[in-house]
Amino acid sequence: MKKILAFALALCMIFALAACGGGAKKEEAAGPFKPNGPVTMIVAYKAGNGTDITARILAKYAEKYVGQTIVIDNQDGGSGSKGWSKLSSSKPDGMTIGFINLPNFNSSIVKKLGTYTIDSFAPICNHVTETSIVVVRADDDRFPDLNALVEYGRAHDGELIASTNGAQASNHIGAQAFANSAGFKYKAVPKGNTNEELTSLLGKEADFCVVKVPDISSMADSVKVLAVFGTERLPELPDVPTLSELGFYKDWLGSSRCIAAPAGVSEEVVKFYEEAFKKAMEDPDYLAESSSFATDYKDAAATTELVKQQQAFTEGLATGFWYD
Amino acid sequence: MLSTLSVMGQGFLHAMSPINLIMMIAGVAMGIIVGCMPGLSAAMGVALMLPLTFTMQQDTALIVLGAIYCGAIFGGSISAILIHTPGTPASAATAIEGYQMTKRGQAGKALFTACYASFWGGLLSCISLYFFAPLLAELTLKFQSAEYFWLSIFGLTIIAGVAGKSLLKGLMSGALGLLLSTIGSDPGSGMPRFMLGGNSYFYDGINVTCALIGLFSMSQVFMLAEKKITERAQASKVTDKMSLTREERKTIRPTIIRSWIIGNLIGILPGAGASIACFLGYNTSKQFSKHKEQFGKGSIEGVAGSEAANNAVTGGSLIPTLTLGIPGESVTAILMGGLIMKGLQPGRMLFNEENALVTYTFFAGFVLVQFFMLGIGLLGSRGFAQISRLSDAILIPCVTVLCVVGSYAINKLPEDVLVMFVFGIIGYLMRKLDLNTAAIVLALILGPIGEKNLQNALIISDGSPKILFSSVICWVLIVLCIVGILSPLFMNKLEKKAEKEAETEDPNGPIEEEDLV
Repeated sequence: MKKILAFALALCMIFALAACGGGAKKEEAAGPFKPNGPVTMIVAYKAGNGTDITARILAKYAEKYVGQTIVIDNQDGGSGSKGWSKLSSSKPDGMTIGFINLPNFNSSIVKKLGTYTIDSFAPICNHVTETSIVVVRADDDRFPDLNALVEYGRAHDGELIASTNGAQASNHIGAQAFANSAGFKYKAVPKGNTNEELTSLLGKEADFCVVKVPDISSMADSVKVLAVFGTERLPELPDVPTLSELGFYKDWLGSSRCIAAPAGVSEEVVKFYEEAFKKAMEDPDYLAESSSFATDYKDAAATTELVKQQQAFTEGLATGFWYD
Repeated sequence: MLSTLSVMGQGFLHAMSPINLIMMIAGVAMGIIVGCMPGLSAAMGVALMLPLTFTMQQDTALIVLGAIYCGAIFGGSISAILIHTPGTPASAATAIEGYQMTKRGQAGKALFTACYASFWGGLLSCISLYFFAPLLAELTLKFQSAEYFWLSIFGLTIIAGVAGKSLLKGLMSGALGLLLSTIGSDPGSGMPRFMLGGNSYFYDGINVTCALIGLFSMSQVFMLAEKKITERAQASKVTDKMSLTREERKTIRPTIIRSWIIGNLIGILPGAGASIACFLGYNTSKQFSKHKEQFGKGSIEGVAGSEAANNAVTGGSLIPTLTLGIPGESVTAILMGGLIMKGLQPGRMLFNEENALVTYTFFAGFVLVQFFMLGIGLLGSRGFAQISRLSDAILIPCVTVLCVVGSYAINKLPEDVLVMFVFGIIGYLMRKLDLNTAAIVLALILGPIGEKNLQNALIISDGSPKILFSSVICWVLIVLCIVGILSPLFMNKLEKKAEKEAETEDPNGPIEEEDLV
């Protein structure tokens, strides 16, 4: 009896070990690049997180074009810096790639959470873009449009309350950029995540907040979108004006999920994945499954530009952006 | 309303998918094994199985964790009845009457009663889950910064006051947990605090699951390892039939109903869990019993009172966890971790169009799990009893390996294993000093919630503390906090009286307390 039990327990442990996941075999390849074993794709967030979900959908269809299994490796911790540290220190042989999430990635560099800089990575392409929007409660009669909100803010300086998804987190940056450009002061209440941020708005603690388009997909009746960040209106919100056309904040703001390799990979590797992911993102089956989020393919050059631009933007926040 | 009902119905259909059914059986069986082995608690079982759920669908993952939870709380009664050693603290009161019945040759009857009462306790607690969880989720809009602040204070007063034997030691444990919870970035400004030289590992604070595995399981290994390894008592043979007569079932019916209400309320209270519920359930069954003379000699009402109460906690403690994000006890704290890992945030979101189906599938799974618990419990108790006798010589290495693997598998960080070991040592020292390890875990969770919301409330009010007293809910919570602090004065009396009576009337001598975490 005891032996059977010991065996059963040993079996449990093997299962537990198996759950830790196996590493991919990594070997040098010669000639035109082609991965010669499973490709590891690092996601700097937990399994089930937004990035993880979209990454897994992309990986599923990209395997066909990459010609190998893609293993998602969730490396959560330190606001993403754990995963990005691991990606930056991986061997640049094209067997390990990963997602970098702008602008969180840039913030982690500014805050020196990891040992990497933007030069530690070779961007491959952009996968998903989420644009920031300004929202209020649907039944809040004070703010029929954005101008009403701005006027109220100017008339009651420092009284409007905006919930955010954390101190100096992406939606706090958005609210601050909007308020700065509109010339009014407000109080920022840092919540732990976007869910709590919206609960604070709906519970009438906050007056307005900045979130990203997919965050309100299930609450179309309870919130009203006043404006989007950027120079062009969004196809899914054709009636909502941009901040830029209303004369406020000029640039696009939001978050991007880019794919990158560790710096030092050959041109060929970047080209190979750039093409493979482009094909995957155009695959009709992929398009059918990814309808719930905004796929936004950008090639390596444009992605590199985006990373640099976001880095400059994030670094610019250090002076004169926040209230002291 | 109609749409909610249809989603509830769909939830049942989804819960009955083959994979979910298989995982329910596996989860319940695993839970019972973990529960009946002295040294492995329900919290540890759920924590260790958490990494295994990473690859599962949202609903399946939650169902497995729920199944382990329910199974473990019931499983503790098997060893309590057959070898007079409660497998988990939740069955401490069951051992009193249960082992007496075993000595009288009624082990089968005792096991059946435990199983039957656990089943009803768990099943009835699902009613409150179905009814109150969506209701409270709607109410969460009324819970803003000030209310959340008081809620976390309330939870802390409960663990300090009710959960421990001494108020002073409870407060000390809670304060230590609060101190540890300040490690990481400041929730308001993002300032790094105590992060050990800019190391980003502690950016999000201490990993609660690793801390918990260390505090509850690793420390248990240390406790076991320092003792001379002795064979556990032979599990008594089950000689009689596992059943109850119709009259007996009728006798325990009111007991089960009372214990359900007690267990459910205890479950909903943040900070109080199954280990308290079983004693309260046992006591109440005694007070109301028409056969008081049977208590201490093997009363089925005593077994039913304790077991129905501890399983009624399960559904109850899910309510604040799912709606307010405030876990009722340490097991649900880990379950909440699993929920968040699966991309589900506690609160109203769980009941919106997008997530309602997953949530109700979980609820339905929780209902079905009770039936599997009944079936597996009735058929397999004899076998599980053998497992519970596993020698410490096997148990110690196995639990050590599970602790290391479990803490590593969550984020695949070697630092996590180190944190687990450090907390193992902290837990060991705390047990030696008779401090409350559960208080540390809850303080680790509630500390940041309280701090962040206090900061937020003061930002909104421009620093005026008046905001903390500005709503009815605030005042209700303040009153509850005061009751929580004062509760040891009468609760301790009540519990001590119960334990004393239990001990004086327990001719088997005191219960082995080694496993009471």
